[in-house]
Amino acid sequence: MIPEPLWQVIGQSVRGASHVRADLPNQDAISWRPSSRGGPPLVLVLSDGHGSAKSFRSDRGSRFAVTAAADLLQELVSGLPDPQNLSVVKRFAGERLPDELVRRWRSAVDGDLAEHPFTEPELAKLTQQRGEPSRKGVAKNPRLAYGATVLGVLVTQDFLLFLQLGDGDILVVADDGLVTRPLARDARLMANETTSLCMSEAWREVRLRFQANYGGLPALIMAATDGYANSFVNDDAFRKVGSDILAIMREDGVQLVEENLLNWLDEASATGSGDDISLGILYRVDAIQAQPGSGASSEDSGGLPDAEFPTSPVSPGVAHAVPEGTHGSDAQLASEGGRRDAAEDSEMGSRFIARFKHEGPSEPSKRVRLADAIGGDREEADDAASADASPDVAPRD
Amino acid sequence: MSKRPGGELATRPLHFIWITDCSGSMKTDGKIQALNVAIHEAIPHMQKVGAENPNAQVLVRAIKFSNGAQWHISQPTPVEDFKWEDLQADGVTDMGKALSMVAEQLKIPPMTDRALPPVLVLISDGQPTDSFESGLKELMDQPWGKKAVRIAIAIGSDADYDVLQQFIGHVEIKPLQANNPESLVNYIKWVSTAVLKSASSPASQSAASAPTTNVPVPAVPTLTPADDDGLVSADDVW
Repeated sequence: MIPEPLWQVIGQSVRGASHVRADLPNQDAISWRPSSRGGPPLVLVLSDGHGSAKSFRSDRGSRFAVTAAADLLQELVSGLPDPQNLSVVKRFAGERLPDELVRRWRSAVDGDLAEHPFTEPELAKLTQQRGEPSRKGVAKNPRLAYGATVLGVLVTQDFLLFLQLGDGDILVVADDGLVTRPLARDARLMANETTSLCMSEAWREVRLRFQANYGGLPALIMAATDGYANSFVNDDAFRKVGSDILAIMREDGVQLVEENLLNWLDEASATGSGDDISLGILYRVDAIQAQPGSGASSEDSGGLPDAEFPTSPVSPGVAHAVPEGTHGSDAQLASEGGRRDAAEDSEMGSRFIARFKHEGPSEPSKRVRLADAIGGDREEADDAASADASPDVAPRD
Repeated sequence: MSKRPGGELATRPLHFIWITDCSGSMKTDGKIQALNVAIHEAIPHMQKVGAENPNAQVLVRAIKFSNGAQWHISQPTPVEDFKWEDLQADGVTDMGKALSMVAEQLKIPPMTDRALPPVLVLISDGQPTDSFESGLKELMDQPWGKKAVRIAIAIGSDADYDVLQQFIGHVEIKPLQANNPESLVNYIKWVSTAVLKSASSPASQSAASAPTTNVPVPAVPTLTPADDDGLVSADDVW
């Protein structure tokens, strides 16, 4: 008999009202693993392709992003020889996920470009919309055309992992309805500007949060592209989505939420931002079956500072595990803020990538090699982290 | 379905602020009258652009500077309700004070981080008489000041082109030189329509692809050859 899964996932993605008017496709993408939608382990990933004229293939870029992120998070779990060794898991996630995510996305983009070079109509449209300099800009960095963000959540028996590059929101809802953010909002991301997978040092912009399941699990986790939060009058109104969905699931059932998700998102885009909106919801089955009525509303937690869940940008190779003594329900990755020099970065990355390519990441029997890589470069990473502890601000070219 | 999750839905605000020179020199050769006429003429076009994008709420304000600065339209006014009361000219050119007051309004709060990039339009015919630099610094110290689409229109040949260029802050975007009422109307209409339309688009972009502004500034309307090359033509009155 197959045991009932502890977690399940639902989700939806809608084309934005302004995209309908402008005859643009839905440039968001959403995916989850496994396809049965039950876990743990359970992976949810979303991506928001940029809407600017330069990113005219961002609908493909977002699809490549969710595939790369979902594969990676799935492999992280299936390849771990000892998933309960949280120090190792954290170390691996911090040191390798950002590099590998960006590498795989670039590989997919480059493959698409090789198979489908830019067409003259695509470039002519860009020139018409943004002028010749934009055309030259895309010619210089073709990946701009595929620019996209990525959000990811991994739920396992032992830990939760949150991943974010660029704008969008992940909300965690407690059993009592309290809504918090596992990753603080990035104050730099405003005025339609976002960090992106297409940036030259995109891995530096990947933010991670690791949370051990020692002190109780959330009832629900939701992740949404920024078109959703931008459709609400303020952040409190948006955060209320989390506690409301939990309450609706408890009172009316998951099916009702799933049946109405499309309409809710369509309404939000039409009445709000006009942007594409994607929403994924991971929920704990036993939490949904709990009796309603005792939950706090998100207004109750509206004033809760994000600092309750402090986060730091994680640069590859410089993140380290929180000391064992600080383990708890809130163990997290922390950044030294240090920086390896470029040559060392490149060398380590190449070795890891070479190993990955050799072993082939897509075959389950070989995924263990991903975890094997954890130990291989550990000393070098530690050395690198301690060698240069100066603050590192990711360049935004 | 009445149980839609979340609080109140809302379109994204787009703040559009006229920053206008009302110094005594604007009285000469009918400059202030031409400016009033140009803005009056632009209003219906501006309202049309606002109506075409139901996902942006265009909110208009205006501040004038001469001896000090004062809000001419202090409340963010929905573009559909936007009316223009004629400005009068007198006094000196305290441009820095006006920028300082705009900076105060671009703080978060009262602004929200979900807004669309504001559009700031600076119109002047002269040289600042106060500390322009400190006013500009206050403006650029605000995230929304930095992210704003900043356009400048120089009225006549006595305008301080360098100051206006500093306000814009991007070498690729030049101050617009209006040497007669027709060109002023043309530029005011352009900023009220093409620039506004571009700013109201919610298209996101990579920080990597935004070397100049985070909103694409459309091509400036074509003018006469005399306007284009900066030479004085018979039609130029300023």
